[in-house]
Formats: sequence, C-alpha cells, structure tokens
Amino acid sequence: MNRRELFQNILAAGAAVFAVGALRGQGITSYNGPEGGTRGAQLVTILGGPFHTSSQPNGVRPLTTTPQFATYVRVQAHPGQQGKIAVGNAAMRTATGNIADSAFVELWPNWDGSADNGRSDTWIIADPKWLNTINVADIYIWPEIAGETPLITAFQLV
Amino acid sequence: MLLLSPCAEAGPHTISETPVPITTDSKLVNKLSIKPRLGQWSKVLIGGPGLLPDETNAMAVLYPVPNGGQADAFVLQDEGGQNTIDLSQIYIYATIPGDTPMVEAFEYKTL
Repeated sequence: MNRRELFQNILAAGAAVFAVGALRGQGITSYNGPEGGTRGAQLVTILGGPFHTSSQPNGVRPLTTTPQFATYVRVQAHPGQQGKIAVGNAAMRTATGNIADSAFVELWPNWDGSADNGRSDTWIIADPKWLNTINVADIYIWPEIAGETPLITAFQLV
Repeated sequence: MLLLSPCAEAGPHTISETPVPITTDSKLVNKLSIKPRLGQWSKVLIGGPGLLPDETNAMAVLYPVPNGGQADAFVLQDEGGQNTIDLSQIYIYATIPGDTPMVEAFEYKTL
C-alpha cells in the first residue's frame, strides 16, 4: 500500500467513525421492553385492536410514543370501513396536501367484503431472523377518514 | 442495537416515459415492496436494468386496484437478515406517465 492509498483508507475510516457517531446522535436513549436486535423465547403481543388516531396532529399517530422493538408488525384495513390507510414515517405528521404522498404503503378499504373474497388489504413487516428490530415508534398511521380504526398487531419475543 | 428501519428512499415514485431505477446510486436494503398506487390505473412493471415498457425482461407485472380489496404487490426480502437488495438495480415502469407506484423499503441499521 502506498502513501496515497494509506491516506485514503484513513479518510474512509474517519468517515465511517463519523457516520456511526451521527447515528448515535439520533440514538434511542429510553425504550420499553427488550433492546433492539435481541431475541427472546416467548412471543407476546405488545399492540392489538382497533387503532385510533383522532386528535393527533394531521390525524397521524405513531404506533407507540416510547420506542419499543417488535419482531412482527401487521396493519390491516378494518373491514366495513371506507377510507384508505396510509403507513409511513414521521414525515406524515407535517405533510400538507395528500398525507398519503408521504407514506410508503397504502391499504385499500374493504367496505362490503365483495372484493377478494372479503380479504382486507394488509401490510406486514417481520424480521426474517425473528429479532426484535422494528421500532414501532417509527411507524405512523393515517386513516384517510378521520375516526376510522385500522387493526394493529405487533409481536415481541421476550 | 440492531434495527430494521424504513428507508428514506421509500414512498411514491413518479414514472415518466421509461423504466427508472428506484435509486440512482447503489442502496442496499433488506426488504422491498412495490404496489400500484391506489386509485391509479397504470399497470406497474418491475424488472432489472433490461426492463422495457413492452414487458420485455419484466420480473413482475402488477395490475391496478379498481375497487378495494387487496392490492397486487411485488415483495422481496432477504431471509438471511442482511441488506442485500440493491435498489439501484430494480427498475419500475408505469403504463400511464405520471403515475406513482408506491415503494416500501426497510434496511438494517446499527445504532
């Protein structure tokens, strides 16, 4: 390795250290349940039931306000309700216009069960190694029609 | 700690006349999902760099969702738990210019 290559390697290492530092700067200092990336022996439900977002800014609500790490998260359009459901990140809270333009998933409503043999549109994210890596506080929900209540489930291994 | 987090590159992607990659620079993720935007009428084509608007080299063709129910989707995830899917190698095309297929991507990050 010549001096130029050595210098480039030092610069790259410095950039990597800076990147790690930047990530730690946004780090999560308090959370509920086990640390992110862990895996326990018992699957427990940490979220369940119809999810209300009314009275939240923009009608957008995170799944939890305190970080909590799940291995599986499922969001389902509530059968019988009539609006789309948008799933995204914190950008939806301050979005203007169509809030779903800031989402990464939209779920179609299933108002009368006539489509797809009654199946409702559903979004699932799961860690492939069953680690608790999904911060549910980073996942935000916006029902197109205020007051509608998508069905949320999150599992954690403790 | 290890986290599986939403990528900044996720969200609606506007398609004009030709297939476009999800990102211009290489970006490795663990999970990728692409769905037609609800309420839009394009077929959505997904492929690699060789994708053409006539479906040549398409790895998936997604129909629009006209009337509720489950949306068609292309989903890919590394089951080994690594960031191995390069968004710059996945191309999208919508048959109606201006339509915006929805891209979801999650990546592993270490905090």
